[in-house]
Amino acid sequence: MRKTALVFWTTLFGVMGSYAQNKQLLYDFYEIPQALMLNPGMRTPYDKHFGIPLLSGFSLQAGTSGVTVNDLFANDGIDFTTKVRENVVNGLRRNDEFGGSGQIELFTMGFRSRNRPSDYFSFGMYGEGFIAQYWPRDLAILTFEGNANNLDRRFSLNHIATQGEAVNVFHFGINRELNRNWTVGARAKLYSSVFEFKSASNQGYFVTTMGEDNILRNTLVADVRLRTSGVQEIIDILEEDANTTQADLTRTLLSRSFLGGNLGVGFDIGFTHSFGRNSFITASLLDVGFIYHGNAIKNYTLRGAASNEGVEIILPEDLNDFNSEIWQELVNDIEAQVPFDTNEDAFVTLRPFKVNASFRYNFGAPRSRVQNCECGVNMTSRTDNLGYKSAVGGQFFMIHRARGPQVALTGFYQHRFGNILAVKTTYTVDKYTFSNIGLGINLQAGPVNFYVLADNLMGYTNIPDSNYASLQFGFNIISWNSN
Amino acid sequence: MKKLFLYLWIVGLLISCADEQDFDQFDDLSVEPTVASSVFYFEADEGTINFAGSGAFYQETFTFEAFNEAFISENILDGVITYQLENTTSKPLAVLVEFLDAGGNVLDSESFVIQPEPSPLLERQVAYGDGGRSLDILRNTTNIRVEGQNLGDATSQSSQSEPRIILRSSAAFRIRLR
Repeated sequence: MRKTALVFWTTLFGVMGSYAQNKQLLYDFYEIPQALMLNPGMRTPYDKHFGIPLLSGFSLQAGTSGVTVNDLFANDGIDFTTKVRENVVNGLRRNDEFGGSGQIELFTMGFRSRNRPSDYFSFGMYGEGFIAQYWPRDLAILTFEGNANNLDRRFSLNHIATQGEAVNVFHFGINRELNRNWTVGARAKLYSSVFEFKSASNQGYFVTTMGEDNILRNTLVADVRLRTSGVQEIIDILEEDANTTQADLTRTLLSRSFLGGNLGVGFDIGFTHSFGRNSFITASLLDVGFIYHGNAIKNYTLRGAASNEGVEIILPEDLNDFNSEIWQELVNDIEAQVPFDTNEDAFVTLRPFKVNASFRYNFGAPRSRVQNCECGVNMTSRTDNLGYKSAVGGQFFMIHRARGPQVALTGFYQHRFGNILAVKTTYTVDKYTFSNIGLGINLQAGPVNFYVLADNLMGYTNIPDSNYASLQFGFNIISWNSN
Repeated sequence: MKKLFLYLWIVGLLISCADEQDFDQFDDLSVEPTVASSVFYFEADEGTINFAGSGAFYQETFTFEAFNEAFISENILDGVITYQLENTTSKPLAVLVEFLDAGGNVLDSESFVIQPEPSPLLERQVAYGDGGRSLDILRNTTNIRVEGQNLGDATSQSSQSEPRIILRSSAAFRIRLR
């Protein structure tokens, strides 16, 4: 039972998705070096930075749309099956989803060019994964109710949509301050896919109608595909009957993480443009790329069409050549008409690209110790480089998903308390919640930088009733650009 | 003061709340869909019936392992098999349906007698499980025998176009998935 429950809840809540890849608190929070990963054209007030290995960037995000843990598991005395039927089976729509994502930076470094101080280079490696499951509404209803009382209702196979992956990313970025008004950047990425699975753009339906000859007619029209790479290899290891499972799994995961799996390339680009001293617009395009899956592939397909009205005996045709195995013949016919096949065909997956943009207005800027002399990009103090005491603005986020783009809008307020503490608060609206208030804190103690960012704080008043939660934190060593 | 306020705010956030949850409720989840499908269809035209003469005009046994498929036999809670008999021939007819196990033993049978045309559609529902016949009948059925009998003459012809006898059947089973 525990295994069943684990599978159920892993499916329902463990798969909390890529929408969570919106990192609105971190975006343009340029005291934090990891913000460079969201906009390679961000302002970079550092001379160099060094992330504490494994601790420089850690994020976990999870969310659901349409239902919360509390909706189902509140100790309210209501029959659980009734709650599932009302809140999940009948309550969720096909575009509702569950998902989660996580990212851990293995190492990151950055340094300013000695020959060309307007250039800031950064590189590193991080692992990330996400899993997203759209709610298969029609299939859930079919599973919960059956077809007997749903005559003529088409249960769409298009509702099947799921995606997940784990990938290790090696990256190298260049950030260049072109002049006082423009900073641009680009980052090249090499992806090493550990595993990936995806099922989307499925077509077909199952329907039960009144039969033409017999009482009922069941019809299945299917064009369903699930593509996987690396998954079967991991399953085989987990199922092996040996004492070396853990060692084998570790070896496989490490190998696939470090270029032994399927590889891909991509890039990020971005810019920051200032209007005068206090207004800025920024934008970035992230993860434009692909992964070619050529090894450890197992794809599943269900394609074809079949109708069934049961076994048929029609006289006089069946008088002389009656086949007593007509049941098995019927089963064989259906399996031939709608074959469930596997193959090992290579495939390419595009990365789920993301777009960030923002407008920012700084005010209450600390008095500059160096006047604006228009004399060079590196002629500012550290305080000038941070360049604000308070800031307000708005942000836009979009991610390309299996069912089209998803967007989020954010308003933010940011404030610095001297050179030690900076706080950013956000209010974000997306398809999951209209009440997402986030808070990010960045602490700078000498060269040591620590940040923690948490989303949807209103949800913390009753965590199980929250649709969304995220947490990011990290440690860095920063040397500020004080030229 | 501002820092103190901020500090208290952060502490307050960290001491977050959660309504009491009871995850053991999952054990109470019940998923019991009712699945339906046609079972078999039998049709004989009047010419075939006349050709065989009076008495049995057809008897055949065929394998039918839908009911004893592991998924069905292990999870079925109850069910109904619906039969529809339609006779547009000029003679009274009888149809016998028997469910047999792997040894050829008759586990259950259903017999129908229908008058010559114009006779109304004969429909019968047979319940299995709670309040009905034993579910073991379905669980152990591996073959079905169908027998047709002509209870009238072997020469008359119905005035209907394409006169025939038709036996339709379908099953609706409630299955416990969880």
